[in-house]
Amino acid sequence: MRVPVGVKVGAFAVAIMGSYTYFANSIPQIESRPPQELSLEGGSVTPAQLVKAGEEIYTTKGTCEICHRIGQKGTRAPDLAGIGGRAGKTTPGLSAKGYIIDSLLHPGNHVVEGYPNIMPAVDKPPIALNRSELWALTAFLQSLGGTVDVALADIPATAGAGGVGGAAAAAVTLPGDPKAGQAIFAGKGTCIACHKAGALGASPVGPDLSQIARIQTPEYIMKKILDPAGSGTVAGYPKGVMPPMFGQSLTAKEYVDLVAFLLTLK
Amino acid sequence: MKPRTSASSQGPRGGRDCAWTVLCTLTLLGLLAALPAEAQEAATEPAYRAFPLIGSRLAVWAVAQLHLNFAAFILGVPIFAVIIEIVGWRTGEGRYDWLSHELVKLTFAAFSTTALLGALLLFLFVGYYPRFWTYMTSIFFPTYWIYALLFFAETFTVYLWYYGWDWLAGPRKWIHVGLGVLSNLFGTAILVVANSWVTFMISPAGITESGALKGSVWAAINNFTWMPINIHRLIANIVFGGTIAAAYAAFRFLAAKTDEERARYDWMGYIGNFVALSAFIVLPFAGYYLGREIYAFNQTMGITMMGGFMSWLWIIQAILIGILFLGSNYYLWLGMERIPGSERYRKYVPPMLIVLTLGFMIWATPRSLVVTLDEARAMGGTHHPVLGVLGVMSAKNTVVNLMILTTFLSYILYRRANKVPTKPWVRTGMAVQWAAFGLAGAVVVFYGVYGYFVESIVRIGFSVYQVVAVLGALVLVMALDIPMFRGARSTGTIRWGTIAPRSQYVLILLAVTFTWLMGLMGFARSGIRQHWHVYGVMRDTSVDAVTPALGYAANVITLVTIAFFALVMFIFWLGGLAEKGTASAHGHAPAPAIAGGRAPDA
Repeated sequence: MRVPVGVKVGAFAVAIMGSYTYFANSIPQIESRPPQELSLEGGSVTPAQLVKAGEEIYTTKGTCEICHRIGQKGTRAPDLAGIGGRAGKTTPGLSAKGYIIDSLLHPGNHVVEGYPNIMPAVDKPPIALNRSELWALTAFLQSLGGTVDVALADIPATAGAGGVGGAAAAAVTLPGDPKAGQAIFAGKGTCIACHKAGALGASPVGPDLSQIARIQTPEYIMKKILDPAGSGTVAGYPKGVMPPMFGQSLTAKEYVDLVAFLLTLK
Repeated sequence: MKPRTSASSQGPRGGRDCAWTVLCTLTLLGLLAALPAEAQEAATEPAYRAFPLIGSRLAVWAVAQLHLNFAAFILGVPIFAVIIEIVGWRTGEGRYDWLSHELVKLTFAAFSTTALLGALLLFLFVGYYPRFWTYMTSIFFPTYWIYALLFFAETFTVYLWYYGWDWLAGPRKWIHVGLGVLSNLFGTAILVVANSWVTFMISPAGITESGALKGSVWAAINNFTWMPINIHRLIANIVFGGTIAAAYAAFRFLAAKTDEERARYDWMGYIGNFVALSAFIVLPFAGYYLGREIYAFNQTMGITMMGGFMSWLWIIQAILIGILFLGSNYYLWLGMERIPGSERYRKYVPPMLIVLTLGFMIWATPRSLVVTLDEARAMGGTHHPVLGVLGVMSAKNTVVNLMILTTFLSYILYRRANKVPTKPWVRTGMAVQWAAFGLAGAVVVFYGVYGYFVESIVRIGFSVYQVVAVLGALVLVMALDIPMFRGARSTGTIRWGTIAPRSQYVLILLAVTFTWLMGLMGFARSGIRQHWHVYGVMRDTSVDAVTPALGYAANVITLVTIAFFALVMFIFWLGGLAEKGTASAHGHAPAPAIAGGRAPDA
């Protein structure tokens, strides 16, 4: 039987594409996932926990490892081994933590001789670390040959502000009533049982939310209420404590009011 | 030269095509006019909607890739169609005029499909990514009008070009050629406008930290990657158009019933491949330029692209480009078999094959890749202890330049296969040509080896010297070859139609591979933004914010490529049906005979 040309050509083309597809499926499959937000504000975090969180940021969201090595001279950026020890001696008038923080926020001020001025400010998009993350990263860098003494208050209040989400975050305006939301926080929502929000509440069970709107995106806050487990747990706090049923127990209006209240906490 | 008779005989079908395209354009324009209102609405709407079953990202991905495939074809083919028409006009050879018309006919059939897919893509953005589209509109709204007006201008010019083929023949041919040139200018302008949107998403410029436009929209248009992508896409479109036209010719060759038909489509396939190959040789240089600008815009993005989660993508790209190089050369070597006198050059084929094969292997050698623990243990590290040294850019840049030189040598040998130069300065000319090849090769190898001993920042600069050496050799050799072989003694005419049928499968391999490669590079271009709609400005907060792994991407690319070829075959089949009808109804004149290398009316 004579096979039509169209069938032969079609089968040939599919075989070619099939082989490319097979190869592409045979190699390691790596996805690029959006980074998780880390919030440490108000939490009682030990230096060890802070350093561990900072190391995680160093290799993931911070993307530091792309250029910097620890214990190995890089061609794009300096070796960070011992940076915690020598940072305090690098720039007169700047402590170790001061030098590290300023280098992260204004890298152009501290370009090491022999290296190009290519490092982006890490609190700005696309890296966009928030204050908690900057705090943890600084602690990790200090731990490389130095003493960890950085506190959240050392990170400038303006750092990371408005970075995440850019235009998308700025565009979010909720029709909720913050006053009614405050009542939900203290009443039906029972948030107050675990969280502190400014003058409201004092429970240490969950993180202090007094500045939550400054360090987190509206999207994160909204998601966290509905899906606490799926939004991650703040370092230093036990997992799985926050109830997952607010999506059912709160009405739509109560939910929007609560979010509107949380967005006032800056 | 015999005037063409087919164009004006398209009649009712052509009218329907025209009506479809105008309808699509009007729809697009209406939609654009309504966008400001849509944008206001979007502020109160959700940021995303979910496309049924497959999700919004996959829907946009599939339609965008299909649209780009068709758009690349209809923008690429007319560029060389008009050049071929000019060749036919100046030389008086009717076969070139026939071929040019045949090529425009192919794009013509795909025109309305491109417009429909463009409109569909716009609907998807407005409907499923309203906030993203609102933001893009806030920056680029003035360009929408330019785009729509250019689309009108392009549509009417192409229709006039196609339908005016007979009307503007003879002494008015210059007007017709002018229309072809004009339609290409409009087409290219459409491309650069659309590129401003897509490149802004990669490397935004001209905006404040919160993403608002600072001053003129020009600053947003003229971002880091805009010009490199304009150049890269323009060249790639020509390659793509050439490979598709060659594959069409290959299909017609394989299905041909007569020697005359086989000869005609053998010649058409050769021209298509020649066009593709000529543009393909310079495409890697445009790629370097694009890569350099990505690094200049943002080092993190550049490093993520080349060494991060996408590192395996470049190995697949190397394999595909290696196949394209090998396939193109193999086609030329097979083609030489039908040229009397080419036997003299057979001895060059084995060394050229060795260079290409080794180059292919080195280019596809991985270096710092994400590997499994078992693989890392087996190799003793993240790269091979011995071969890993070939996986760095120094080695890769060197071999790709040598592969370009080899491919160019193949073409030069093919070009002179049935010619013996008679000029008195032949010996000198040949010596200079070989010296140019040798010198360029030496420069490429020298900087390739030297690159291992310097810092990366210095090494990056070496690729410029390598490129300049290769381009210099290409220009010098060609500048000598043309006058040297003018009036050369012929060793026989090309036996068109006698090429081995497997050569036609090579043409199909090239078209399929290049189309697949376009899909892969589209994924790379989009994937380097990772979880950003507009890099560093507007974050992707949808459920699809994950950038998928290569396996998933390959599955999507393959399915869309199959859909593209199915649509293309259907459209070409429709075109063939209309041709059959009009040929019998209007006594359509046959295409000129090609066998023997001369048209009867030449």
